[in-house]
Amino acid sequence: MMMREATPEERRRFYQEEWNKRDVPDFILHTISVREFGFDLDGRGPNNRYNQFLTVEQLGDFLRSRAPYSAYASVALYERPSAREGWLKAELALDIDAKDLPVKSCSCPQGSVCERCLDEARQVAKQFAEVLAGDLGLRNINFVYSGRGFHVRINDESVMALGGNERAQVVDYVTGGVIPSDFTMALGYSKVFRERLERTFSLLKVDDLLRVRGMKRSLAQRLIQEKERALAMIRKGRLHELSGFEGLGPKTFRNLLEFLTKLNSGFTDGKVTIDTKRILRLPSSLHSGVSMKCMVVRDLDRFSLEEAVPKFLREAAE
Amino acid sequence: MLGLDLIAPEYLAVLDPFADEAKRIVETSPPLESLPPEIIERAVQRVKWTTKEMLVEPNLNSIRAEVLSFYLMCQGVASVSFPGSPEVRLISEATRKTLRYRMYDLFKKGQIDLCLSAVKRSLNLVDLEIGETIKVAGFTIPREDFYRLRDLRLAEDGLETVDDRILPQYLPRYAVRWTDLAPLLKHRLKELTKLYLVGGWAVITPRDLWDLYASFISVKLEEYVQSVYERILESGTQPAGVLAQVGERISSLVPREVVIRGGFTRGQAGRLRPEFFPPCMKLALNGVGAGLRNYAIMMMLTPFLSYARVAPSGKVATRMADFIDDISIVRDEIAPLLFEAAERCNPPLFKDQPQEKAGIFYHMGFGMTTEPTLADSGRSKWYRTPNCSKIQMSAPSLCRPDELCRQIKNPLTYYFRKKYEGSRAG
Repeated sequence: MMMREATPEERRRFYQEEWNKRDVPDFILHTISVREFGFDLDGRGPNNRYNQFLTVEQLGDFLRSRAPYSAYASVALYERPSAREGWLKAELALDIDAKDLPVKSCSCPQGSVCERCLDEARQVAKQFAEVLAGDLGLRNINFVYSGRGFHVRINDESVMALGGNERAQVVDYVTGGVIPSDFTMALGYSKVFRERLERTFSLLKVDDLLRVRGMKRSLAQRLIQEKERALAMIRKGRLHELSGFEGLGPKTFRNLLEFLTKLNSGFTDGKVTIDTKRILRLPSSLHSGVSMKCMVVRDLDRFSLEEAVPKFLREAAE
Repeated sequence: MLGLDLIAPEYLAVLDPFADEAKRIVETSPPLESLPPEIIERAVQRVKWTTKEMLVEPNLNSIRAEVLSFYLMCQGVASVSFPGSPEVRLISEATRKTLRYRMYDLFKKGQIDLCLSAVKRSLNLVDLEIGETIKVAGFTIPREDFYRLRDLRLAEDGLETVDDRILPQYLPRYAVRWTDLAPLLKHRLKELTKLYLVGGWAVITPRDLWDLYASFISVKLEEYVQSVYERILESGTQPAGVLAQVGERISSLVPREVVIRGGFTRGQAGRLRPEFFPPCMKLALNGVGAGLRNYAIMMMLTPFLSYARVAPSGKVATRMADFIDDISIVRDEIAPLLFEAAERCNPPLFKDQPQEKAGIFYHMGFGMTTEPTLADSGRSKWYRTPNCSKIQMSAPSLCRPDELCRQIKNPLTYYFRKKYEGSRAG
């Protein structure tokens, strides 16, 4: 998969030949006149803000004429989006950026993404959505491939009026970002936490474990060598049995648990979720930094990155 | 408590002072200023109630005294303090305890339906279907989880065994929509991760129900005080007379001392002394322009004030809870200074970036929240005060060095040295 920056000419081609209003998802299309739009026109950041479009045609005209480096729409709906005033409600959004995953199995350099870590980001998005729908009973959950990761965007009325604090608690819940008082229950947060812990622990290497306060190399090596045994304990909620690993005293166990929990929280950028006025990359637009289409993903399991490759990049590769 | 059934609709005002029944009582009463002395006294005494005084006889006079004293208490506090003040916290907590006790008492007396009718006005509440299987809104709850929830609730109250009369209070019996609990989540009076959630429903015990409902009313109280406070501000006149007297008397009952964990060997933390702040921090406190706001408030002032207040000699630690036992140091001493400085920025920082309120606590290590608790301490990194060279580079306009600045490398050193010299000079 080739990822490179798009040239101004390629941006123009994309918006004139390939961009289609049908690719703008319904949840934006139906609320287009009450959203704020933001643009990065030259690659220096989204500093063209406070834009309002009454119709998708107006938006299309703007995109075709300006061919922006990046295009964004607010998660919030406003009475006066062009002034960012009269806040009505906002989508609940989770941003899973493959380049920022706290642990990943690939070895692509800091700030980069590869197909492997993008796939890991996709799995994280799926896990989050399962909890949002199952435990939290939310509906209208949409996935968006953002170019370097995935957005989970929830347009369920019951959560759209929530403020930042409540949203932060949703982040804690879906990420497993808080140590629970019980690890054993079959359902609820206890189960979510076990699953997140299992996922995070399974990705760790010896060097990662050495970041745990009080962790000795010999113990870290043992935990990784016998990872399957440790994972089985986590899966069953028998975390106390981890103390069977020689050298893992109560203090180091606690430090390990805190370390893993902190890593769990890092699988999404909490700042995005709590910000009820955030602008997020517009599905249908071009992520010019990587030359990929930002698009709604209808079936996350079957989604292929190939679908997001713009025509100009495909032609260049031929 | 005879006659409760007959008086049930009015009695709802005792369980919900914001219900229509309560509002009608207020509307048909003389102004709060001219209430009889016993109601005025009741308004003050409310914060001291422990058990039986919290209960209200089922007659119209008692209900009326209860409702009017409640409003007098709220308006009195709004006239002498501000939203979020220690006075507001005191009456909010007292009201929460009162409501909880009343719910407990009514359940004990078999008046469960009365309680539930009050609750259902604010929360979507359903009964668990408890039979061969345990279900809520079509979702099955494993029996092991059902009993585990009971055991956890017992453990929270420090109980290993209870007699059969008390046990039902600890058995899951109801479920509420978690989204209805948003006001409690907002103020961290409830944590989502501590709820047992299935299909959007939080499974709760009767005791949980009393807690949730009582907290719900206490949040409404705080919002009400805020609205009264804003009305007073708009009117431009400061209330005097009975309202101010009630407010002052309640204010005098607020425990003042903030407890700081003992045992500091270097013991130089303590109350902030702005007169000893270095020039850069004084400038930042006065508010800065758009380009510097985030850096000045988040990266400079937040670590500086937090370390200066709680860490002896700015000693570095990973968690603030290693130094303090009382979160009010953060909420009532450090945060107000930061919020005021943010407000003085041009434009005010939180006007267009309200999420940065949570950012302030994030930088103090409490994670993303605006209602930090000690338990949150360590959830994010507690940022350290940048060195002078870094400030000089990132915010040159705030660096106006004086004599002492030339001898130190970090603003905290400046502060502690000045403070030490100040204490020696008496």
